[in-house]
Amino acid sequence: MSTVFKALSDPTRRKVLQLLQAGPIGAGELAAMFDVSKPTMSAHFAVLVNAGLIEADKQGRTVTYRLKLSVLEEALLAFAQTFGLQVTRPQPGHLDVGSNEEKS
Amino acid sequence: MKSTFPLGRALLGAVMIVGACAALKWAAPEHLSLEWSQRLTGALLGFVVVFYANAIPKSLTALARLRCSPQAEQAARRFAGWSLVLGGLGYMLAMLFAPLASAHLLGGGVLIVALAAALWRCFGAGSAAARG
Repeated sequence: MSTVFKALSDPTRRKVLQLLQAGPIGAGELAAMFDVSKPTMSAHFAVLVNAGLIEADKQGRTVTYRLKLSVLEEALLAFAQTFGLQVTRPQPGHLDVGSNEEKS
Repeated sequence: MKSTFPLGRALLGAVMIVGACAALKWAAPEHLSLEWSQRLTGALLGFVVVFYANAIPKSLTALARLRCSPQAEQAARRFAGWSLVLGGLGYMLAMLFAPLASAHLLGGGVLIVALAAALWRCFGAGSAAARG
């Protein structure tokens, strides 16, 4: 459950989940919707996949992400979007991905 | 298809549900009033519906993907999950707080409406996909 809270604590990852609620989206198309670098987006996707909130569908070189939220997780997402989640800022050198990285 | 509920865990869950219902039946009327024994049994069954419905959007992916478009399939799964979770919660609340004479009817009605809505949405998505 802590991986789910960690995944939902970041606004970029919450936005990814919100976008995927409309249906599956390709990784490239999804990354293009954000003002962050592709490696950063890949790290965000990895966190969401590890938390079991999305799943990657690989066909050849194309990766499509689809939503894999339970009802409780979707309710948590709605709660986090409405009220935000109180999280501490990661320490420098921490492996967690920040959301305010500029596109390189 | 990867299942969120493997058979062993599902069977253990079934044994626990039957055991809890038997314990509630055994406890009445010496340790628990007959009314509360019935109410708690109903609430437990409502909780079971909520528990399994919560996992619907996560676990039925592969099977549903066979028949319709990814968007429609995802929307149907989400709708079915929410509908049955709310139906199960309605059943739980009715069994806990409604007058016992009408609790089964009220809770069952809510649950049947939720199930009908979920089925209607899923078959609707399937038939829309079949039409192309």
